[in-house]
Amino acid sequence: MARKRERAGWVFVAPNVVAVGVFLLFPLGFSLYLSFYSWDLFRPMRFVGVENYRRLVGADPLFLIALRNSAVFTVLTLVPTVVIGLGIAAALNRKLAGIGIFRTVAFLPLVASTVAMAVVWRFIFTDDGVLDIGLAWVGVGPVPWLTDPELALVSLSVVTVWKSVPFATVILLAAMQGVPEPLYEAAKIDGAGALRRFSAITLPLIRGPLSFVFVITIINSVQAFDQVYALTGSNGGPETGTYLLGIMLFQHAFGFYEVGYASALAWVIFAILLVLTMVQLWFARREAVDL
Amino acid sequence: MSPVRRRTLLGSALAVPVLTACAAADDALTFFFQARPEEARVRLRIIEEFQKRHPDIRIRTIMSGPDPQQQLLTYCAGGKCPDVIMAWELLYAGLAERGVLLDLRTLLDREPEYAETLRRDSYPALYDTFTYAGGQYALPEQWSGVFLYYNRDLFTEAGLTPPTRWGDAWSFDEFLDVAGTLTRSGRTRQWGFADAWVPYYSAACFGMNNGAEWFTPSVAPNRANLGDPRFAEGFQFYADLAVRHRVAPKVADRLSISAPDLFRGGRAAMVLGGHWLYSEFAGQDDLSIDVTVLPVGPHGGAGAITAVGSTGLSIAASSPRVEQAWEFVKFATGPVGQAIIAASGLFVPVLKSAMSSPGFAAAHHDIRNRDVFTEGPDNSRPLPITPAWGKVSALLERGSTRVLRGAATATSLNGQFAADLDALLRDP
Repeated sequence: MARKRERAGWVFVAPNVVAVGVFLLFPLGFSLYLSFYSWDLFRPMRFVGVENYRRLVGADPLFLIALRNSAVFTVLTLVPTVVIGLGIAAALNRKLAGIGIFRTVAFLPLVASTVAMAVVWRFIFTDDGVLDIGLAWVGVGPVPWLTDPELALVSLSVVTVWKSVPFATVILLAAMQGVPEPLYEAAKIDGAGALRRFSAITLPLIRGPLSFVFVITIINSVQAFDQVYALTGSNGGPETGTYLLGIMLFQHAFGFYEVGYASALAWVIFAILLVLTMVQLWFARREAVDL
Repeated sequence: MSPVRRRTLLGSALAVPVLTACAAADDALTFFFQARPEEARVRLRIIEEFQKRHPDIRIRTIMSGPDPQQQLLTYCAGGKCPDVIMAWELLYAGLAERGVLLDLRTLLDREPEYAETLRRDSYPALYDTFTYAGGQYALPEQWSGVFLYYNRDLFTEAGLTPPTRWGDAWSFDEFLDVAGTLTRSGRTRQWGFADAWVPYYSAACFGMNNGAEWFTPSVAPNRANLGDPRFAEGFQFYADLAVRHRVAPKVADRLSISAPDLFRGGRAAMVLGGHWLYSEFAGQDDLSIDVTVLPVGPHGGAGAITAVGSTGLSIAASSPRVEQAWEFVKFATGPVGQAIIAASGLFVPVLKSAMSSPGFAAAHHDIRNRDVFTEGPDNSRPLPITPAWGKVSALLERGSTRVLRGAATATSLNGQFAADLDALLRDP
């Protein structure tokens, strides 16, 4: 009987196991294999050892630019996403009139297609877009949001934060709703204000989900591609203003026919993300608070 | 009947139409191209005409998405390369180098008489642009070049008459005066000039019209002439139109409205583009258009020149239907197909015989300066043909943006930038 049940269990999970094998493990392994080859998809593959990695780290000035841009972009995205996500989750956690409408509005970006919203933001960032019209009322502008290389990365971060905040909010709101009510009541009796309750009770008790939001936002920022492609083009322009690791990977694989080099880059991105995630998890575990 | 047998029979019955459909689809010649809806309709008309003459060859069209090169790469790398492939002059060398495209000389050599007739009726600049590393990897199918569309009413109001032929071009100074006269500031701004092409390609055309080639030699180049003072001067003149003289919209101005829309709405008196824009502008009651040529710089030649800007038709080297594909390519690029193209008004034909056909004149009867089209191929200069074009264009775009937004001068493209570009050309 137990064997029969075990077999049935295997039958149930088999499609997923096969899918993971075919669509995740095989590409993962194959890309690692490719990263040691020079291959343009058509001509025979040529083994080059660690040459792709050496070229990436030692001889490609654009890799350093992409790395720097990705780091700046991650910081510009991470901090506002977490801060705004926390603020909105705290606001949504309160029982107020009209909170349903507020929740709907706050979660709208979550359902929008990244490319569609990037196209809409493109119009917002133009000289005659709503942003510059608003700034003109206070005597500022016009601001070259997408045409100045330095500002383009900031504009890109604005769009990404707008898109990322709802997901962070969902996670943080769910965590906040799991904090036991008596703790707040006790704190209230002790005379703690709203801010004090938030910093002394809410934040320590949602550290786990907060850490998850940190990790996911970092991963999404380092892997950013679609919004960059739609907002500033396939070349990461203007100049190298929005040249991120995701754009570099796409360009080498599908624009320059350098599949091996792109695979090496993918594994370097993987290594960076792995290290960042492990560091983050280590911090989160060290400071964990048990209920 | 046992359940198993019943199931087998049912399955077989269902499989028959599916298999037939697959077999039928697999039997068809696949034709990959990119086209706007109006252009696609003309291509279908050409296919219909072809099938009247060759009822045994069926054609299945594959329309490209926004990035044909990437789509094609995926198809061909996956072993599903279309039989007939639209070829772009700047991109085909990468595919030819990798053995994706068939050298059409293998087929032309079998029919020397046809090859000779075709060659004699062709414009050398267009035919030769698809010649790479000793092979002929496509036959030209349409010329688009780039030139200037102008709003006839706005020119008449301003009392201006533009040149009618490539030999009578404006000088840079005259062009700037004209663009300035046609620029109006105010609530609804009107620009003298707008660019509907790729800005740094256009800027390079201005450089070429000031007497310097963009790349040397044009096929498999090993040097870019960004450091040539004549090229830099022309390039800078183009950038200054927007940045310094404000007679053209800057990059930021064009984020919310495209150049064709500006022109269509009467908010740009001239727009730079190719024949692909003709169907967007012609036949509109409130827009009276004509065409003129690019201006010539102080170091330029006797007349204006333009970029080849041609597309052609190739055959996949892996195609199992080379013979049928060849029949179609011969038809579309030969006298009959070209006559249909000429009469459609959507393309400029690439054969001299079709160019002088009454059909072409009738399709462009609104245009008074038709010589801009008919003389266009003879005044075309090749753009660089290199398998490294992807990398080269990415680098060029990066460098030229600085100049086009006014943060640097065109002379700054010399030095390290030009050296990097040359190194890339020599070792792609």
